[in-house]
Amino acid sequence: MHKVLIIDDSDINLTLIKALVLKLGDCEPMLFDNPLKALTWCREHVPDLVIVDYMMPDMDGLKFISAFRALHGRDEVPILMITANDQRDVRYEALLGGANDYLTKPIDRIEFSARARNMLSLRTGQKYLADRARHLAVLVDEQTLAIREREKELIFRMSRAAEFRDPETGAHIQRMAYYSQAIASGLGLDAAAQKLILEAAPMHDVGKIGIPDYILLKPGKLTPEEFEVMKGHARIGYELLKDSGSEILRAGAEIAISHHEKFDGSGYPNGLRGHDIPVFGRVVAVADVFDALTSERPYKKAWPLEEAVRFLEEGRGKHFDPLCVEAMLAKWDEVLDIRRRFKDEDVPMI
Amino acid sequence: MAGNFKLDRGPILERLGGDEEIFSMMVEMFLQDVENNCASLGNALNGGSLPALQREAHTIKGLLATFSDDEGAAEAHGVEQQAKKGDAGGLPEKVAFLQARMREVAEVLRQL
Repeated sequence: MHKVLIIDDSDINLTLIKALVLKLGDCEPMLFDNPLKALTWCREHVPDLVIVDYMMPDMDGLKFISAFRALHGRDEVPILMITANDQRDVRYEALLGGANDYLTKPIDRIEFSARARNMLSLRTGQKYLADRARHLAVLVDEQTLAIREREKELIFRMSRAAEFRDPETGAHIQRMAYYSQAIASGLGLDAAAQKLILEAAPMHDVGKIGIPDYILLKPGKLTPEEFEVMKGHARIGYELLKDSGSEILRAGAEIAISHHEKFDGSGYPNGLRGHDIPVFGRVVAVADVFDALTSERPYKKAWPLEEAVRFLEEGRGKHFDPLCVEAMLAKWDEVLDIRRRFKDEDVPMI
Repeated sequence: MAGNFKLDRGPILERLGGDEEIFSMMVEMFLQDVENNCASLGNALNGGSLPALQREAHTIKGLLATFSDDEGAAEAHGVEQQAKKGDAGGLPEKVAFLQARMREVAEVLRQL
């Protein structure tokens, strides 16, 4: 049902136009003899067609059109202006000022019906396009979400593939990712950055996929030469992930190459110092080491929490960014909760 | 001055797509409002407001044109334009004519 707004200070014209509108079918006429009252109504309602007289007290039709068009979302509603035969200047002004078409008095039913139907067809097309645009936007949102979820799943599985070649576990990936998020939160990074580090941190050791088994799985201590090869996993991870179209993979590349850097410049692969190390790398360094220390491995027992905390504190300004250590300790309750949620035998998806 | 009003239903009904129902409705509305319209026109003149007179003459022009009274509508148009220009010369007579014309059209319509 089309809402047709009719504004004319003459009762006889209102009655005539209403009758003609009803003859169009599928129309609900709204009548106003006062343009100011019509404008008030328009603040709450969006008509499908406006038919407005030119000469009215209080506000003429041109001023009404201008005020109507200024209302939010009313810029495309079709408007028919009614003028007298001798008002060519007014008709030009109306068309330039936002009216879509005009009718001359006395009103001719054939002309009226044709013009009104054209305007209503235009309106139907506008609404169809708007509905379709909304529908497409919803579909795009749904598909984007699905792609994003698949991206997260692939990242998790890729990270696990690397970890399977290593004594570390899937739960380690989860814990260190959530510790990283907690530290990012403690540092005051924004919500988007916190989410990004949560999703990218699992890829920190993905470069281990390129390390030979005899080194990666060696039960004993590595020789200096073997350790040099092992250190290559940071750069391999970076090469695997860099230049991706995905923001998460790019963040993963940055984390992969920087999470073994140390705050005093003694880390690898680039020997970066202090704030030259990307903040995600400084955060993940704390999270990764803390979880490695507090987890049991085939070659070692889990450290008690107090000892792991002492290790972090003693490493402030040397191995670790002091602010990242402070941020983790400030989130201690959250850290304990993450340990409880992600145990080594139970690995839910992120 | 215009001659006597003669109703010609043909062009009126043609404009209304031959719809007798709408025609009857308009006749009824005209008869209902004719005295109010004459009074508003007179008040505008007596109040000395040319913009108000311009507006009322415009309304009368539309009403007379609705019933294809081209001569009456032309007189109303003359008053409208004169008021718009701010020229008050001879307006009382012209307004009186328009009021009489409205009543004359009403009388013809009452005979239907």
